[in-house]
Amino acid sequence: MQSEIRNPKSEIASRRMFLGAAAGLTFAADMTVLNALKSPVLANELKKNDKRVILLWLAGGASQLETFDPKPGRPTGGPFKAIQTSVPGVQICELLPKLADRIGKYTAIIRGVDTGNGDHGSAARMMHLGRRDEPSIKYPDLGAVIARELGKADSQVPDYVSFYTATEGRGNAISQSGFLGARYGAMFLTEGNSPPNLRRLEEITDLDHQERADLRKLLSDRFARSRQSASLSSHNEAYSRVRGLMASEKLFDLSQEPTPMRDKYGPTLFAEQCLIARRLVEAGVPFVKVSRAWWDSHGQNFETHLELATELDHVMSTLLDDLQERGLLDHTLVITLSEFGRTPQINASLGRDHFASAWSVTLSGCGIKRGSVHGKSDEAGNTVIEGKVGAAQIFATIFQALGIDHQKNYHVGSRPLPLTDPGTQPIREVLA
Amino acid sequence: MPLPTTLKLLKDHSRQEILFGLARIPSSSRLFLGASDGKVYDVDVLAEKPEWKALEGHSSYVTGVALANGNQTLISGGYDGKLIWRKVESGEVIRTIEAAHSKWIRKVLSSPDGKRVVSIGDDMVCRVWDAESGDKLHELKGHEEKTPNHFPSMLYAACISADNRLLATGDKVGHVVIWDLAAGSRLATLEVPGLYTWDPKQRIHSIGGIRSLAFSPDGQKLAIGGIGHIGNIDHLDGPARVELFAWEKSEKLHEFLGDGKGLVASLAFGPDGKWLVGAGGDNGGLVQIYDLEAKKVARSEKAPMHIHALALVENAETLFACGHNKVAVFELKA
Repeated sequence: MQSEIRNPKSEIASRRMFLGAAAGLTFAADMTVLNALKSPVLANELKKNDKRVILLWLAGGASQLETFDPKPGRPTGGPFKAIQTSVPGVQICELLPKLADRIGKYTAIIRGVDTGNGDHGSAARMMHLGRRDEPSIKYPDLGAVIARELGKADSQVPDYVSFYTATEGRGNAISQSGFLGARYGAMFLTEGNSPPNLRRLEEITDLDHQERADLRKLLSDRFARSRQSASLSSHNEAYSRVRGLMASEKLFDLSQEPTPMRDKYGPTLFAEQCLIARRLVEAGVPFVKVSRAWWDSHGQNFETHLELATELDHVMSTLLDDLQERGLLDHTLVITLSEFGRTPQINASLGRDHFASAWSVTLSGCGIKRGSVHGKSDEAGNTVIEGKVGAAQIFATIFQALGIDHQKNYHVGSRPLPLTDPGTQPIREVLA
Repeated sequence: MPLPTTLKLLKDHSRQEILFGLARIPSSSRLFLGASDGKVYDVDVLAEKPEWKALEGHSSYVTGVALANGNQTLISGGYDGKLIWRKVESGEVIRTIEAAHSKWIRKVLSSPDGKRVVSIGDDMVCRVWDAESGDKLHELKGHEEKTPNHFPSMLYAACISADNRLLATGDKVGHVVIWDLAAGSRLATLEVPGLYTWDPKQRIHSIGGIRSLAFSPDGQKLAIGGIGHIGNIDHLDGPARVELFAWEKSEKLHEFLGDGKGLVASLAFGPDGKWLVGAGGDNGGLVQIYDLEAKKVARSEKAPMHIHALALVENAETLFACGHNKVAVFELKA
């Protein structure tokens, strides 16, 4: 835990500065927010109040054997070695040497994941919703729930940003606000790294744009004075966020980031999007999903993981270090999730197929007991022999790590709907 | 033997291991097979009851085996980066070079005169060794460590000409270098991008690469094998592809694209240089005969397993192959 400033005068000063920063967040959700965060006092204030999530969605199903649950020397183990991490007795695949050095500092590994669903579409939905679909209820996904729970009503940065640039599996990686309503839906980016249509048209000056907004508000307020309507207030709320969202365009602009920092992350699309994710959470966006597709290595599994796991190792390590150095990791939870893992059996194309019976998830940073490992698969990696968990327990653990009661109910009409299914327990061994 | 018109499976043996590398004692059916359990197996596959003698020493997949010094010495290399020299008759280890390559060794081969050993690895270096002393003679660097899209590249394939003069190496992105083996100097380069698939949109990673190389008996032509463009790179779901070059003129003579799917992982010329055999596959196995005069795939046959390596005997009437959980022997007839 980081030490806190106890000098009363400093506390008053920092509170005032924080309120100023919060106002800045309201009225100028742009680089000024990032600049304000350079003050350690403000960063500390913000950290105390704001929790964030970055979800690294490893779409298509990353192999647990080539990442966080290696089985060296077994026929199912494949050709990669296991390497020692910074936690005594804990080994991961040699494709992740940088993460191996950081497990003890940042990360918990959950190895006993058995979700029992090896179909891309429905498994991905389950790992986004934390539960199976129900015909009569459209549940919100993790991002929408986090946006609802951690987003601020007056925030003008987006609450939920989702990157999915590859086309394969995009439809599976749902962005669904469900019964929470469109307010908590994702800003879903599929082309490039910046939201389309966010920039003010060049032929309209900023003053014109502001005056148009003022006129719209004047007319709208007059219209609303004699009416009560949820949809009307939602409509007005959406408009009130427009200028903030427009100003947030700079958060997506990596040319604003110093070249040495961009070089640290590296030149790949995934690296760029993870750096943008850091910029977004730093500016107050509570949930960012960066999807890295496509890990579905039915053929040439080892070659595919040489590319993708090597990239994950570098980019995720850089992201965790960056968040830590900025004082953000204690309040930011970084998750790796897939729809499933991959078969221990190696097929004739030197591939691994879909496998949901014993795979791995990681949680780093906020609320996590760093260096902990929960669950164990058997020697060949075929079954979970200790600490079996499913999607609901993973979601409960995520909520608990963020200080959200996982048994909290939402209500749809009179029906109470808990965040996780009744009886679900978080994985306490990985919680700080 | 002229162009074979029939290809018949004579025998196969099932194994638990994946068999990646194959070297054969001439005029015999005694094979040395590099395996996924870190062992090299010494076996006469046409014996009535083959005995599989295991030679230990590697800690990962053994992907290259070669015979040198008048077939008195066996050299093996694997994903552990290690090269091991042994006496063929006793299996006794002569020397071990622990870190011959800093990344996976993909192939080990010997020159036809048995005096040189060549190893290639994902450190993107080709090393030439004196077969007898084990001294390193050359470190040949002609392949980029990263692909144009910033991912690690791989150096998959190499071959040596029949006159011991030429060495060719081929990498993941389709870059080929032809070297003077004795001098260690670069003679020419070729680009074969049709064997590499980078998917920038759907899946954002790559597959393929040059997986096999063979010089024609006169050394003038170079056959280059792999897999053609793949739409869905989750699988080896692309056409088996071989390109033939007159390498000194950098002239592509022909592209062979038949009905077969998957990688062409190993290639060998027929003795007259007029035909070529290639083997590999996807989830299934594939053997193809390429007619260089008619410029077509003359035969395309299924094999009982995905094949990783082959050896064509001196008269080209028998083909030994190893691969996924099997070793197989085929008969070729004109």
